[in-house]
Amino acid sequence: MRGNTLAMALVVLAVVFAVVAGLYAVGVLQFLVSDPHASHHYTHAILFGVLAIASLIGANFARSKGTA
Amino acid sequence: MSLGQALFMGLLQGATELFPVSSLGHAVLVPSLLHWSFKQSDPSFVPFLVLLHLGTAGALLFIYRAQWVELVRSFFTAALRGNIETPSERLSMLLLVGTIPAGILGVFLEHELKSLFASPTAAASFLTVNGFLMLGAEVLRRRAERLAAAGAQTRIEQEERFAVAEQISFKAAALVGACQALALLPGISRSGVTIGGGLMAGLRHQEAARFSFLLATPIIAAAGVLEIPQLLSNPVPLGEYLAAAALAGIAAYLSARFLLRYFRSGRLDPYGWYCAGAGILSLALLTFRP
Repeated sequence: MRGNTLAMALVVLAVVFAVVAGLYAVGVLQFLVSDPHASHHYTHAILFGVLAIASLIGANFARSKGTA
Repeated sequence: MSLGQALFMGLLQGATELFPVSSLGHAVLVPSLLHWSFKQSDPSFVPFLVLLHLGTAGALLFIYRAQWVELVRSFFTAALRGNIETPSERLSMLLLVGTIPAGILGVFLEHELKSLFASPTAAASFLTVNGFLMLGAEVLRRRAERLAAAGAQTRIEQEERFAVAEQISFKAAALVGACQALALLPGISRSGVTIGGGLMAGLRHQEAARFSFLLATPIIAAAGVLEIPQLLSNPVPLGEYLAAAALAGIAAYLSARFLLRYFRSGRLDPYGWYCAGAGILSLALLTFRP
């Protein structure tokens, strides 16, 4: 049960990270960037994309433990 | 930058990237001490650094090519299954956990830290700190050896009482990974702090070096690949830069081979003393030179 709750939380986190990655990629977000005038921040977008994938992997691990 | 200078910088970067003596610190300090006019912080220097990093990452990928194929396969297997069953699957997840803190800190702090501390005096100061950090790590390690490896007859036996990379905890992997971010400070060595962190986590010296090199590969490669657009957008003497990158790769390959052999029984002490001495000497030269 606890594992499933954690899995759900990690999926929500993954969605948030994916949205932030998208916003950095299209240049909407300018938070903590070295060049605020640049239109795209691919490094930040890739980082949040990786965090989204890592959260999904974590969710899969938590789900497996929850159902075990 | 002349061809000779480019080749020298390639050799210096390739060797110092993996030796625990700070490549960034040397790249800031050496041109300044030799009175060379170019600066690392200059935007025109970025494409050159990109190629040097790609050369180093290429050498690391070549050394661990079979292991990386296995790690990537294991990573996807474990991620999709939602469970870790083999040592290789565990190592692939440890590397992911270790890479994330360095990635976050690197992306958000790199520009600020590099612009704050890009001076040769700061690099010399941090190089001294780097030396004492490694010496401190070895002092703590010797204390752990007195407890864990009391009956060992030889250094190799003593080392074998400690863990291999696949056995460390995820918390330790995250801490070792976060240590990588310290290397954004010129003078602090990425491999020095991660090998030191690995020793604190209970790894053998050779395993701490292997974990450090595996951990460094995605970060160095990603940093290089992400800067490729800058390389293509600026007119650069590509032949000179490629020759320097090849030399960096060869130097990195030989350095990694030497270090993996050295750390079977060797310690961080010589590098710690070198960094402390070179840092103090550089500070004196920078302060008192005419």
